Amino acid sequence: MTVDQSAPAEVSEQPDEDGPLRGGPVLGAVAGAIPVALGLATLWYARGLGFGRLGDPGPGLWPSIVAVLLVFAGAVIAARARVARDTEAFTRGTAAVVIGAASLAVYTYLFELVGFEIPTVLLLALWLRFLGGESWRVTAVISVLATAGAYALFIIGLGVPLPHLIGG
Amino acid sequence: MDVGSVLSGFAVVFEPQNLLYCVIGVTLGMLVGVLPGLGPAATIAILLPITYNIEPTPAVIMLAGIFYGAQYGGTITSVLLRLPGEASTVVTALDGYQMARQGKAGSALGIAAIGSFIGGTASIILLTLIAPLVADAALEFGPAEYTVLALIGILLVATLGNGALIKSVTAAGVGLLLATVGLDPLMGSPRFTFGSDQLADGIDFVIVAMGLFGVGEILYNLEHRLRPQPAVLSFGRAIPRRMEWLASRMAILRGSVIGFVLGVLPGGGATMSSLVAYAVEKRAAKDSSRFGKGAIEGVAGPESANNAAATSSFIPLLTLGIPANATMAVLFGALLLQGIPPGPQLIVDHPDVFWGVVNSMYLGNLILLLLSIPLIGVFVRLLRVRAGILAPLTVLVTMIGVYSIRNNAFDMFLVIALGILGYGMKKLGFEPGPFVLAFVLGKLLESSFRRSMRLFDGDVLGFFRRPVSAVLVAVLLITIVVVPVLRMVRSRQAARIAREPSQV
Amino acid sequence: MSESFARRRVLAVLAAAAVLPVAACGGVKGGSDDAGSDYPTRAVNFTVPFAAGGSGDLISRAVAKAAEKPLGQSIVIANKPGANGAVGGKEVLASTPDGYNIALAVKSLFAITPLVVNDPTAIQPDKMEIVATLVQEDYVLVVNAASPYKTLEELVKAPSVKYATAGVGTGGQLSQALLFKGAGTTATDVPFDGGAPAVTALLGRQVDAMSGSLAETMEHIKAGKLRPLAIFSTERSEFLPDVPTAKEKGYDVVVDQRRFIIAPAGLPEAVSTKLEQSFAEARKDPAYETFLKDNYMERWEVSDEEARQHLKDSATEFATLTQRFGLTFKS
Repeated sequence: MTVDQSAPAEVSEQPDEDGPLRGGPVLGAVAGAIPVALGLATLWYARGLGFGRLGDPGPGLWPSIVAVLLVFAGAVIAARARVARDTEAFTRGTAAVVIGAASLAVYTYLFELVGFEIPTVLLLALWLRFLGGESWRVTAVISVLATAGAYALFIIGLGVPLPHLIGG
Repeated sequence: MDVGSVLSGFAVVFEPQNLLYCVIGVTLGMLVGVLPGLGPAATIAILLPITYNIEPTPAVIMLAGIFYGAQYGGTITSVLLRLPGEASTVVTALDGYQMARQGKAGSALGIAAIGSFIGGTASIILLTLIAPLVADAALEFGPAEYTVLALIGILLVATLGNGALIKSVTAAGVGLLLATVGLDPLMGSPRFTFGSDQLADGIDFVIVAMGLFGVGEILYNLEHRLRPQPAVLSFGRAIPRRMEWLASRMAILRGSVIGFVLGVLPGGGATMSSLVAYAVEKRAAKDSSRFGKGAIEGVAGPESANNAAATSSFIPLLTLGIPANATMAVLFGALLLQGIPPGPQLIVDHPDVFWGVVNSMYLGNLILLLLSIPLIGVFVRLLRVRAGILAPLTVLVTMIGVYSIRNNAFDMFLVIALGILGYGMKKLGFEPGPFVLAFVLGKLLESSFRRSMRLFDGDVLGFFRRPVSAVLVAVLLITIVVVPVLRMVRSRQAARIAREPSQV
Repeated sequence: MSESFARRRVLAVLAAAAVLPVAACGGVKGGSDDAGSDYPTRAVNFTVPFAAGGSGDLISRAVAKAAEKPLGQSIVIANKPGANGAVGGKEVLASTPDGYNIALAVKSLFAITPLVVNDPTAIQPDKMEIVATLVQEDYVLVVNAASPYKTLEELVKAPSVKYATAGVGTGGQLSQALLFKGAGTTATDVPFDGGAPAVTALLGRQVDAMSGSLAETMEHIKAGKLRPLAIFSTERSEFLPDVPTAKEKGYDVVVDQRRFIIAPAGLPEAVSTKLEQSFAEARKDPAYETFLKDNYMERWEVSDEEARQHLKDSATEFATLTQRFGLTFKS
């Protein structure tokens, strides 16, 4: 039933002329496979939690119900992978996403280790210069100013106990 | 209600000191509302030590101002950057962000501010008139009622998306699953915590919203950095045009009432109200396909509702001594520190505090409206900042904001992981809205259902034996069974009528 | 490709250049100072491992404010909630024992949580130093004022009792479970998400009874909305002198919450003395006294050894009792 309801919306959707590259049936199948896998993994995990009775449901019951829903929904998505046109292909630009996410993780790691000032300047510099394509001058000015601004706002102004180097 | 004490409450408000603290409170609230992550609860906690040295009435007026002021501010990031800082502004982001992309950011924020003002004010009037009555009604809501309410909410969530329904359902399912991370609410056994006590209390909503919407969106844009975003050249005006006003005035009215009623319910009232208001607008609209693509009613309704709810959430605190949400819990603490225990006796023992605070909200809302209109003009200019500069600044503020929730770097790693998830979902055609809202309502649904089962000794029919829950079950059945069936019958008839002339 | 490699190298060098000197001198605030004789030379970080606004947060702020003067430095409070205080507590105990990192801790984490969760990394008492003990909070059993049960005897004889708790592994749950089990009452626990929702449920008569701290229930008792039936302390509370203890009624159930301040074990002698003296001084502060009264908290001021012994005894006692009654909280 769910499929029927959604079908018209999809047909009426016009592809953007200038929009991102559409993903193929493989990606469409992946979009279905992930929920299925997640559902199965959850079922496997929840099995050890105990289902209880309807009168007193155990910790495993609700995750299992949701997992079954995910498996079915994922299967439907995978089955329609050929006709679905709502995925986007991964491109060379994906590398920038990986770098962006990794830089945030490194930032968080350094942030705890050496305080927030230096990692913040570095993070902003990376994003401005390399991911944003700004000039070195803009990069330098903004990364330093924004770090100082964040320091003033969060540490001095709002008293958030961020790990930091400068001041008490 | 004692008219004399209501009026003397106004006298309290207009004492210069109280006026000043009201202005400080709402301004501060609006500013922290703009900062993602740093919510009103944290701000009030940070300011608690300062309030030691202030009289109780101005202190509470200021802290209350931070709370409802933050509601105005939160809308700004939801609309401009698609960064909803609270569960109750998630639905605003759906159409608000689209309006901003279409160059109508000013209109979206303008109507949100006006809707918020009307919703807030209407709610205060109702609060003044019928607070004790409503408070008692809220107590009728037990686990059974919350179960049905959450179920209605989750069904509404699945219909929010624009794309394929099955994908909305899947996204909502993953949100429901994520909500189960943490110690089991009834048994205490760890679920999906992988032995980490960082996850024992579950994942904070703000982290989920910031990750899926904020960080996810930014990562997504990184991929397309070489293809410049269509520049947003116009912003619309903060003061709505006649057309916009006509389109949204009923939405504001409906939203205000929905917000007032649902806001009284402790736990998830404000979120439910924004969701219900959105669903109502979508149903009421002649052309519901505009929703999710920048429908102004989709901003006006939920924004009026969540502000009305923010105001009415004071009712349980001030009349019963029950904090309805995290911010109210901190306010509860603030009152205790002032030596004014919140409870049924508050209105009797400290009428000046009660009416002073309530009446200060009229003024606070007015100040916020006056403050918003010119500030909108400033904030929308954010959209003119190049993406290359705006993205790193947004990401920085998000990361620090997330840290400040629990002062914990682990949460920063979580928000990155959720950001990657949000990016992946977007690539694969899943929307974050249903995910995030299902996350909020999933906790409520599961724990309320299990509590109900214990209270009913395992008898599911218990849901039909309680009057309020029976009515809610009826509403639920009508929405999911009767209405679709009727619609199907009607469309069959229409099809037959359409066919007949051709046969003749 | 080569560009990204160069980029990475530049970054690595930059990061190393930035990190090394800093890490070498331990300059991050919250890091270590070696001496101890001139302690404290800067602000002390006080981690409150509970959310802002709750009892744990309020008492910390009250005592910290009073301790700043005798300590001679400011005390900076940071809320770091999670797992009944385990998240923030573990972090502070893992820091350098220099007196600049202290935390609030609660008895239930040591006496009740182990009954509920298996945590191989749980805080070991020998890893911590108890700098100051602060308060004791009693649990009181209450019913709605409109409830047919006027006394404890009547309640335990009820055909079936549904009782609310503030959650799994709280004193409220343990006290009621032990009481009803001991009395042979058919009782079902309904855990809520914190004390306030549990009180709300009782006010709305969704449940028959609940056990909560005085801070959670007292205002409603005073307003006549809730009726206290028994208190789970060894002696009657000064705040509710007319309410009998469960013990008086023949049920040997004593459950309370206690709060104290901890620091990582191995503090230099001078630092430890300074902290202890400062908080001892703070406990005499009149504003602190008013705070305790307003929040229905009783003083619990004992030495490090006594506090340790108490935690140990309670943990053993609760474990034995739950075992004897065949109660399981773990699944």
